[in-house]
Amino acid sequence: MTSPIDTTALVIGAGPVGLFQVFQLGLQGIHAHVIDALPHVGGQCAELYAGKPIYDIPGIPFCTGSELVERLQQQIAPFKPALHLGQQVSRIARQADQRLHISTDTGLTFLASSVFIAAGVGAFVPRRMVLDGLEAFDGTQVFAEHPAPARWAGLHLVVAGDGDTALQTCLDASAGPQAAASVTLLHRRDQFSATPELIAQMRQACADGRMRFVAGQPTGWHAEHGRLQALELLNPQGENEPLALDVLQTCLGLSPKLGPVAQWGLAMERKQLVVNTETFATSEPGIFAVGDINTYPGKKKLILCGFHEATLAAFGAVALLRPTEKALLQYTTTSTLLHQRLGIA
Amino acid sequence: MTHVVSESCIQCKYTDCVDVCPVDCFREGPNFLTIDPDECIDCAVCIPECPVNAIYAEEDLPADQQHMTKVNAELALLPGWKSITKRKAPMADAEQWKDKTGKLSQLIR
Repeated sequence: MTSPIDTTALVIGAGPVGLFQVFQLGLQGIHAHVIDALPHVGGQCAELYAGKPIYDIPGIPFCTGSELVERLQQQIAPFKPALHLGQQVSRIARQADQRLHISTDTGLTFLASSVFIAAGVGAFVPRRMVLDGLEAFDGTQVFAEHPAPARWAGLHLVVAGDGDTALQTCLDASAGPQAAASVTLLHRRDQFSATPELIAQMRQACADGRMRFVAGQPTGWHAEHGRLQALELLNPQGENEPLALDVLQTCLGLSPKLGPVAQWGLAMERKQLVVNTETFATSEPGIFAVGDINTYPGKKKLILCGFHEATLAAFGAVALLRPTEKALLQYTTTSTLLHQRLGIA
Repeated sequence: MTHVVSESCIQCKYTDCVDVCPVDCFREGPNFLTIDPDECIDCAVCIPECPVNAIYAEEDLPADQQHMTKVNAELALLPGWKSITKRKAPMADAEQWKDKTGKLSQLIR
C-alpha cells in the first residue's frame, strides 16, 4: 500500500459534471484529483451518448456526447487535473483531523479536504455472462474486465460479444508473441454491432483460418476437477453443442451500478444524495454532490443543471476551506486573478 | 415520478433493461417485467435498451398506456414478483408478440 495522495479536492466521476467541477474549482484556485471507473473520461456522454446529439447545452446549439467531452477537456486543461481512471472509490471515511480518507478498489488512497461526488447513475462496470455458477471461475478462467493478452497466451480462447472490443480482442489474440492457441468468437447470431471495417477484418481472419466464429446462446457449462472445460451452447438450429475452452473473455459492454455510494453514511432519498441547494453540500461537511446523483426539490437531471450545481459547490468549498477569505464574485471577462488561473494573463 | 413498463413487454420479456438498471428496480412476473416506482431513480438508462421500446418516463407515456403507471406500482408489490437483475432469454414466442398491441388481457399477475 502506497502512502495517501494529499489533495484539497477530490472529484468522484469524470462525466460532464465532474469535469466542469474541475473547471469551477480551478477558477477558485483549487487543484483537483479525479477518479473514474471507466478507463477514459466522459461518463455517460462517452459510454451511452458518444455519437448521439445533445441540443440543450447553453451556447452550443448542437454537439454529440463525445464533442461535449472534448470541449470540457479543453476547458479544464489549464487546471491540469490529476486523473485516476479505471478504478472505483470503495470507501470514504473521516479522519480525526476532519479530513476525508478515500480508497479505491485498485489500492490508491487519498487524503482530501473536500470531496465532490459527481457519480451520475453509478460506476460503469462490465456486464457478465449470465450462467448459474459460472462466477466461480471469475478471474481464473472467465474474465469480464478489459481484455489482457497474458490471460490467454498459448491457450484456447473464446471471446463472447459482438462489438468493437470483442472483434478487436479476437484479432489481437490471433497473432503476435502472446497469441492464443486458438481463437473463437461467440455470439448468438451472425450479426455484429462492431464497425464494418472490423467485421470485414474478422471475416478475413476466419477465412484465413486464424480464428473462427461460432453462433450460439450459452445455456450452461461443464467443468472437470474444478476446471472449466466447455460452455454448452444452443446453436441456431436449436441443437445443444459444447464449445471447449481454456479461457473465456466476455466483451458484453458496460452497465452502470450505483455501488458503494449508499454505504458512505450520507443522507439519501430514493438512492440519491440529499443536498442543500445553496452549496450542494451533502449531510457530511466537506462532501458535495453534483449532477445526476443528487436530489433536491425541483431537481432536473440535465447536464446544464449539473453545471450550475458544480459552480455553487465550488463556492461552497471555498467558504469551507478558506473561511476567513471574503468570497468575491469575479468575472472571467475582467478578473486578472482568474486570467492568471486560466493561464491567459 | 418514475419510469414505467408499458404493455409492449407482455408475453415478450426481453430483459435487456434489467442488466443496465443501476438500482435493480425491475421485478419479474410470469409474462411481464415491472418497475418498482419506489426504487426507480429516473435515470432513463433502460429506455434505449428495450428492443420493443416498452419503457417510458411516467410523463411521456402514450395516452393509451397511462393506466400502466398504476399497474406497474401494483405488480411491484405482489410477493411473487421477485427482483430480476441479470438478463435472461426472452419468452419463447416473444417474436410473435412483440409488435402486438392491446395485450393487457394477456397479463398474468
